[in-house]
Amino acid sequence: MKVMKKVLLTTLIAATPMMAQVKEKIEVPYIAFPIKMGKGFDVVQANCLMCHSFGYIINQGRQSKKFWAGKVDKMIVHFKAPITDKDRKVIIDYLYEHYGNGKEQ
Amino acid sequence: MKRREFFKTAAVSAGAAALGTTTAEAGVTHQPVDNRKISDVAFPEKRPLITYSDRPPLLETPREVFTCALTPNDQFFVRWHMPDIPTYIDTDKFTININGLVKKELKITLKELKEDFEQVEVAAVLQCGGNSRSAFEPTAGGIQWGSGAMGCALWKGVRLRDILDRAGIKKGAEWLAVQGSEKAAYYETPNFIRELHLDELDDHVIIAYQMNGEDLPYLNGFPVRLVIPGVYSDSWIKMITNITVTDKYKKLFFMDHAYVVPDNECECETPEKKFPKTKPIYRMNVKSIIGYPSNGAKLTLKSQAVVRGVAFDGGAGIREVQISLDGGKTWDKAILDSGKLGRYAYRTFRYGFKPSKLGKLEIMAKAINKLGEEQPLAKDIKWNHGGYKYNGIDVVTVEVV
Repeated sequence: MKVMKKVLLTTLIAATPMMAQVKEKIEVPYIAFPIKMGKGFDVVQANCLMCHSFGYIINQGRQSKKFWAGKVDKMIVHFKAPITDKDRKVIIDYLYEHYGNGKEQ
Repeated sequence: MKRREFFKTAAVSAGAAALGTTTAEAGVTHQPVDNRKISDVAFPEKRPLITYSDRPPLLETPREVFTCALTPNDQFFVRWHMPDIPTYIDTDKFTININGLVKKELKITLKELKEDFEQVEVAAVLQCGGNSRSAFEPTAGGIQWGSGAMGCALWKGVRLRDILDRAGIKKGAEWLAVQGSEKAAYYETPNFIRELHLDELDDHVIIAYQMNGEDLPYLNGFPVRLVIPGVYSDSWIKMITNITVTDKYKKLFFMDHAYVVPDNECECETPEKKFPKTKPIYRMNVKSIIGYPSNGAKLTLKSQAVVRGVAFDGGAGIREVQISLDGGKTWDKAILDSGKLGRYAYRTFRYGFKPSKLGKLEIMAKAINKLGEEQPLAKDIKWNHGGYKYNGIDVVTVEVV
């Protein structure tokens, strides 16, 4: 009888409609993207990482200085990232140094 | 179509000539990057997918999944815009708030959504406007997706129209602003809001809480998201919290600046000279993807091979998928599935053949919709600065051994 009861209880729990597959806080994994170290990296880390992972940078591939400047300006103008003029220049130089294609334009 | 093609060509040549540039500088298009590595890290409720970012999460579905009419939830692509996504939703307390120009403001709980309204289902393709962006050269800014920022699911939920009827729309109301729960790091960053004209609300536009018979995966917008069949995914707001009915259209960043294409006949421009007028990307164009075989697959000489894939468009419906094995010189009809999932869903196709020659073989797939619109060759797609709406004929290269 005791065994029966246990079986019944288990069945009941299994049959209870679950409101969600995720009933607790989700944990989004952290991914260590292989970002290059170098001059200006601390500034890149402080500014860019506020809003997005380094995956965003790496995924663009090697690009011109103009491309990278355009990206940084988009963050400032459209996404309102509070990047100072001084930091802006450091970030563009860093991106071009490590993810540049050798072309200014 | 022919006339349109002519103008496409004419406009680009003219643009290039005026600037004194070569075609290459005018922007070219090729096959998107394929077979990017699948991550070894799985995200919540997902299998490991092609992973571009963890914060916000950006996950792409591998090509091999595009042989099924419905994309499994755990392989469905993921795209968020903001770094701060709520990591917990209290399903007992969660409400969708309806306000603005309504007679009665509503706060609808999930229980009410599931019990107090007519429940409807629609099978529809969800595709990022930037899907296949890696096809554009020079690089169009944004995530360099391969072909897997898309999926098709059976969505279950409630018609948005029914919800608005319950609230009662006031005279003069014309627009809806739908807002999700993702948040930026800075207050000044524009929120991700989608505006819809009330006329856009047909019976297929729903607030969905279920996907392929399960709750929405968290990363696909749990607990509810907007479903607008036939329209690119930037409009399908995830984790909807608020819907405001308004009389005026507000210019918004994501609709009016980010997800836009040139507002001209060819929806194209040159990298040097952006077309000044833009329009939001909206209805999807006709497209198909070969799910099998993949690039680099080995097929055996004279054995039965079957090409499989999916085709879709913005809702007109797929009329035909054609396969070419000779570089596009001749095309042969593939077999389509019954189409029972409806005009907004994937049509799967299959095509059997016997490889007759050793060595490399190019397999091309071209979809044609019921309006007669067909996929252009990759090289004939015109460049746009956002890298949107790529729909080139898919090509995979296999080896016959």
